Amino acid sequence: MIEAWKTRWEEFFFTPQSPLPVALFRILYGLCALGTVVLLHGDWLEWFGVHSWVSLETMQTVEPGVRLNLFRLLPQDDGWIAAFFWVCVIFAVLLIVGLWTRFSSIMVFLCLCSIDQRNLFTNHSGDTFLRVCGFFLIFAPAGAALSLDHWLRVRQGKEDEIVPSAPWAQRLMQFELMLLYLASFLWKMKGAAWRQGTALYYVLHLQAVRRLPLPGFTQHGAIPMLLTWYVMALELCLGTLLWWRRVRYPLLLLGLLLHLGIEYAINIPMFQWDVLSAYVLFIDPADIEKVLRRVRG
Amino acid sequence: MRETGEKKRRQRTAAEPTDAFRRGAISVFILFHLVAITCWALPVNFWLTNGVRELVRPYMLWTGLFQSWDTFAPNPPTANGVVRAVIETRDHHMRVWAFPRMEQLGYGERYAKERYRKFSEVLLQPNNAPILPDVARHIARLANDPDNPNDPPVKVILVQYVEDIPATGAQPTPGKTTAFFEQPIQPEDLR
Repeated sequence: MIEAWKTRWEEFFFTPQSPLPVALFRILYGLCALGTVVLLHGDWLEWFGVHSWVSLETMQTVEPGVRLNLFRLLPQDDGWIAAFFWVCVIFAVLLIVGLWTRFSSIMVFLCLCSIDQRNLFTNHSGDTFLRVCGFFLIFAPAGAALSLDHWLRVRQGKEDEIVPSAPWAQRLMQFELMLLYLASFLWKMKGAAWRQGTALYYVLHLQAVRRLPLPGFTQHGAIPMLLTWYVMALELCLGTLLWWRRVRYPLLLLGLLLHLGIEYAINIPMFQWDVLSAYVLFIDPADIEKVLRRVRG
Repeated sequence: MRETGEKKRRQRTAAEPTDAFRRGAISVFILFHLVAITCWALPVNFWLTNGVRELVRPYMLWTGLFQSWDTFAPNPPTANGVVRAVIETRDHHMRVWAFPRMEQLGYGERYAKERYRKFSEVLLQPNNAPILPDVARHIARLANDPDNPNDPPVKVILVQYVEDIPATGAQPTPGKTTAFFEQPIQPEDLR
């Protein structure tokens, strides 16, 4: 029995596989990290500067504990703080192109983590997801394909093809995505509005989170009720069944449609793209290869 | 040929313990993180998950692995709210300052400014009261008119306006305004 579990564990976490999904995720993740920092650009000093909304000292008092937060090490000067954000931008770009990939992924994680820790009051779920996946991405062979690092190694004759490697870090990121859905489902189960089917009616009537206009029929009657239960059912499935090959692609497609719908209707910047970027971690490397071959002609 | 095979075998045997040790260490790392993030994220109240949460708390806070997936849950807000600030100056003039309202911004702008909505929502939670003095001082700085140095802000009052979302078919009810924080402003707060 124990031996069987050990074998399964070994197969699941350590059987070498193509790093293509992780490499593709690295590119999308880097774009999301870059998008997050660029969207903040107009307010870098408002939120994080010396005279920001919440001072560094207050933040330390309200949220104590030892935390990875580079702002605590920086001189409290707006010039240094702006420079910090430019460093984030540079390393996000390096991560996208896959140059010094491991180091770039560490730097991007440190930057995002610091931004979140410096002002926890403005974080949304997308920030959390980027931060947690960023931690696991550090350990993944993210530069082993689709990267300048790989291209340089091939050019120098150190490698001639993409080398398969143990996917354990990819599995942890997959797990994180599924955990997001399962936890969301369980949180919703605690609320009467979700169980009774009225939750989305209220969400769609919150003026501050509305984005693009929705047709009237989607906001009244049975439609918001059915959508409420549909969202919960889909979250439960995405949180439990994604590792089952037979249903994986249909579920990913439904998840994609759900997130695009939310992106259209509700203003939660970057969250949908942050989460969708991790969908590529579930795509079979052979399928990614097929698409890449088609793109390359 | 036999020598090469022997060399490979020697290399493999030499590599195996290291490899096994490495895999063992990685397995411990994987298992620890699976347990830690699961117990942290799932909203369940068992003694075991609570115990694990307490045990891993310092590590989760340090690494930034803490997480909560409770957007619009357990129940979404059932009212539309706005946070404003009333600023009183030394000459008893009153000014009103408001957080950017997403519904009044363009589509692109509201994407960039959404954190103001989130922040104004957070201010209303009782456990975040310690940040309110900082917020009031920041608003005072924003409202301070440098062309009129003799009439600086001396007080900031944070006010919430709430209007319930009527249930389907129900009539809308009038909104309510409540002041939830007041902060005197000193000249040094404006620097």
